[in-house]
Amino acid sequence: MSLVITNLHTSIDGNDILKGLSLEVPPGEVHAIMGPNGSGKSTLAKVVAGHEDYEVTGGSVTMDGQNLLDLEIDERSRAGLFLAFQYPMEVPGVTMANFIRAARQARLPEGEEIDAVAYYKELYEKMDQLGIDRRFTSRSVNEGFSGGEKKRNEVLQMMMLEPSYCVMDETDSGLDIDALKVVAGGVNSMRSPERGFLVITHYQRLLDYIEPDHVHVLADGQIVRSGSKELALELEKKGYDFLKEETPVAS
Amino acid sequence: MTATLDRGNVLEREPGPLDGVPDWFNASRQAGWARFQELPMPSRRDEEWRFANLRHLDFEGAQLPDPQSMGEHRGASGLEKRAARIGFFNDEMNEQELNLPEGVICLPLRLALEEHSDLVQEYFMKSEYPLGSAKFAALHQAHVSSGMFIYVPDGVVVEDPIEIFHWLAGDHVITFPHSLIVTGRNARVTVVDYFQSDTSARNAWAIAVNDLVAGPGSQLTYLALQDLCDQARMIQVGNTTVARDATSKSFILNAGAAWARQESRSCLEGENAHSDMLSVSIARDEQEYDQRTFQHHASARSYSDLLYKNTLYDGSRTVFSGLIMVDDGAHQTDAYQTCRNLLMSEAAEASSMPGLEIKADQVKCSHGSTSTMIDEGEIFYLRARGVKPHIARQLVAQGFSVESISRLKNKALEDLVLSFAAREFHRISERVGTR
Amino acid sequence: MSEAALDSGTQAAIDIDQSRGDFSYPESHKYDAGCGLSPATIDYICDVKEDPDWVREFRHRALETFLAKPMPTLWATKDLENIDFDIIRYYLSDGTKPTRSWDEVPDDIKETFERLGIPEQERAFLAGVEAQYDSEAAYSNVKEELEKDGVIFVNSTEGLKDYEEIFRPWFGKVIPTGDNKFSALNSAVFSGGSFIYVPKGVKVRHPLQAYFRINSENFGQFERTLIICDEGSELTYLEGCTAPKFETSTLHSAVVELVALKDAKLQYITVQNWSANVFNLVTKRGIAHENAEVRWIDCNIGSRLTMKYPGVVMKGRKARGEVISIALANTGQHQDTGAKMIHAADETTSNVVSKSISVGEGRSTYRGQVHIPKHLKGCRNNTECDALLINTGSRTDTYPAITVRGNQHSTQHEASVSQVSEEMLFYLQQRGLSEGEAMSLAVNGFVNDLVREFPMEYSVELKRLIELEMEGSVG
Repeated sequence: MSLVITNLHTSIDGNDILKGLSLEVPPGEVHAIMGPNGSGKSTLAKVVAGHEDYEVTGGSVTMDGQNLLDLEIDERSRAGLFLAFQYPMEVPGVTMANFIRAARQARLPEGEEIDAVAYYKELYEKMDQLGIDRRFTSRSVNEGFSGGEKKRNEVLQMMMLEPSYCVMDETDSGLDIDALKVVAGGVNSMRSPERGFLVITHYQRLLDYIEPDHVHVLADGQIVRSGSKELALELEKKGYDFLKEETPVAS
Repeated sequence: MTATLDRGNVLEREPGPLDGVPDWFNASRQAGWARFQELPMPSRRDEEWRFANLRHLDFEGAQLPDPQSMGEHRGASGLEKRAARIGFFNDEMNEQELNLPEGVICLPLRLALEEHSDLVQEYFMKSEYPLGSAKFAALHQAHVSSGMFIYVPDGVVVEDPIEIFHWLAGDHVITFPHSLIVTGRNARVTVVDYFQSDTSARNAWAIAVNDLVAGPGSQLTYLALQDLCDQARMIQVGNTTVARDATSKSFILNAGAAWARQESRSCLEGENAHSDMLSVSIARDEQEYDQRTFQHHASARSYSDLLYKNTLYDGSRTVFSGLIMVDDGAHQTDAYQTCRNLLMSEAAEASSMPGLEIKADQVKCSHGSTSTMIDEGEIFYLRARGVKPHIARQLVAQGFSVESISRLKNKALEDLVLSFAAREFHRISERVGTR
Repeated sequence: MSEAALDSGTQAAIDIDQSRGDFSYPESHKYDAGCGLSPATIDYICDVKEDPDWVREFRHRALETFLAKPMPTLWATKDLENIDFDIIRYYLSDGTKPTRSWDEVPDDIKETFERLGIPEQERAFLAGVEAQYDSEAAYSNVKEELEKDGVIFVNSTEGLKDYEEIFRPWFGKVIPTGDNKFSALNSAVFSGGSFIYVPKGVKVRHPLQAYFRINSENFGQFERTLIICDEGSELTYLEGCTAPKFETSTLHSAVVELVALKDAKLQYITVQNWSANVFNLVTKRGIAHENAEVRWIDCNIGSRLTMKYPGVVMKGRKARGEVISIALANTGQHQDTGAKMIHAADETTSNVVSKSISVGEGRSTYRGQVHIPKHLKGCRNNTECDALLINTGSRTDTYPAITVRGNQHSTQHEASVSQVSEEMLFYLQQRGLSEGEAMSLAVNGFVNDLVREFPMEYSVELKRLIELEMEGSVG
């Protein structure tokens, strides 16, 4: 029972991005992936979620034994995978409330309808927890939201959909320190022995608030180093340049 | 009167005079018939019919409804709060519920002609219909005997909407729904016309006229919700005149019919006149919607804004032709016009002709037209939340329409239109989803 | 309003090789088809020009088409009805063979160039000159290097006779005779114009240039230009027109056909400044094959009525089409211009940017057509048209038509109408500019991004020309 990525190779428009990446995130653990720009961090997030622009040319991704690569984007989500987007899309004309409701509805068996009263009660509770104004329920998804509001909205969706594994793609980018604390608080409240997290970030800062169990360094499409949370501090101090002397961990 | 009497092809036989109406009205019917005879059928060479599918102008066998075969309209349940509710079955009134402030005239045309002949005459079909269907407006004038006359006197505010249901039924039936709405100084009213039918309305026609006269400082909101069956066709021509300081808002929804053509003219006749023209069309199968608009700024310092949004599925077609005309001397005018098409299939076709004719200066005018496919990024985002692909597409397409609907700026009206739109999108989505 | 500005062109001084000759101004038409149009006129033209039989047949068929077609007044201006086809001379030639040099320019034109301050060294930009005096080319100068590369640059009469095997397969194919009434007229009576063929892979470094002029009263000019860029070749062609002012209307009705074969790039630049009595009814269209590019860059100033909608048929995958145009309509003038973009292959892209300025009681009209038919994928169009109104009596119209079929394309059309803001004028005047100068500056600012698309020597003159046109428009 884990999110297991084995020797993953992917390419886009003929360019290889991930070159044999392997990683295992068991439930209950928080794994952080750090790496310089262009190392393949966001590609990893999109490929795991099933973005159609990326071609998987080798390797496997399984979630609790289920082959994710066989599933469509939405099937992966319903199976329990959640991706918090680095750049959440604006969806004009679709309100936040309807959007999350549609996602919840999709998880119910055919013919079963959502209990609207219970749904709104839960939605408002979680919005309150994240400090999101209740009026946001009637606003179009992410349209006109600030960077911080978009990221809070991602965490709100995560809380409402209760996934088994969360992949967080640079959730800290564009956040000031107060927003970062709120977002991290939301994530921490969801930590549980049944749920695994893969937190992708460029900076160590986020990991002060979401404490990882393991830290992996991604460079040129491969994990080049893994360690405890101290590795993040070391990276912060030395910068990514010291990686150049590293040789990839054999997989 | 027998069922077969005088019902033969309405395009070939001159309608006789009506009993119990003022002479001027019968004269108007006669004049309409003469004009109908005199005007040519639209041809491919007419600019007003560019891109139009003239095949739909087939009136073969069109006949007036049988007055004996009255039935119930079984249309939308409508709004919870309303000031009045009037139902017509093939142009015959069969329901009336009024709860109006004193002084408001809200009468079927025949009764209005009896009781307020002069008032009706002052406004009845006084304008030109310059957007291509003058011939059909003339046919309407020759045959019209039904419809509503609504007059809201100076200073009177009708809080809740007046709903008018037009139900169309029967093979080859042709009806002539008419709505004439006049607001006095600083008056306010909202009127919703529903055009609906059951599937018996094969090759049936509705040739409707809606004329709106917004007096100084008044607010006139008008909605036309077209949800006819897939075998029916409709032409609707409308003239709106907006006086000084008045605001008119019109909204057209197309969800049904094989073919619908709407010609909407808004004439801004006084300073600070304001006109919003809105529309949402959801076209599927072989449906065709053909919309022609005219924002006519006759006065300085007037404002108009148009937003039409079309979503096209399957082999459907839409045509949008819009003209902003700013007259000589109509300075400091703001006029905007936007038509956006969302193409959901490879066979759908959207044509846009956004036009400007500007003869004044110190004006701010712009038009924009886009035709785009669905944004795959949005679809990915929704699917990444577990929403099934066909539902994701349904939500995004529906969301595309919302921009126009939300400009109604009235929760009850927005919800009403959204319920129609959502039902149509859902129907399309389920059909696609099960494929 | 400066009469001199109206009556002169933008670039006569640029391209004049000042070497001596004895080129005398008008009035020795050795061949003159007389007034009016009939099969006899056609035969007369064919006889004088010694046209091959296939051209004679082509002209006669075109005449029939012309006579059969109605005036397009259903959508176009009724002013077209004021053209009296019976008083126009359809063919006129001084009968001389094309010569190699220029001599004189009329004084009033010289004076305008003086005012425009066109520097002599701009001539250096020119690679070759094809000049036309009345109907026949009176001047022809093609640089040796072009000949060395195998570039053919002759007038269309020579083209159809001497290079029939290249000329004929494309002639009348991009723009069929019956495309419109005026393309039919041109097909019946054409004379002059250029024929250019650029061989495979040849990139012509300097723009080629033709110099057209009308200087005989009641005399229609019917140039016919055909340019073929073979695979992978590149060419920029410049065309400019001037016309002295006469009292009765003059008809100009050219047809320009461009062919860009696979990977070729062809750019056609026009600056025209007709006198205010000219009807300028031009049909221009290009075909772009796979990955080829056709660009029309167009500046229309002057004339009584100009109707011109350059088009690109994107026939091959990834072909590109572009129209960039500036129009300035002054009192008594109507600039009815636009663009036609026909997408006929996958992944084709087109771009239209049009800016018009209406001064005094001038009228500018934009008409556009964008067509993306069924079963294509990945086509894109972007259209922007902006109009600037200067005076109370100025007028502008916009009539685009966009048809898109299928869900794999995107089109975007935006148009706006605006004025020079009072605040901006106030600001500039406060800095010491006269109202007129301030207005000129503002107008130049409006078209500035498009003016940059013209070759440098043109853009400088364009700005000055706009300034001249703006004189007296305010106050």
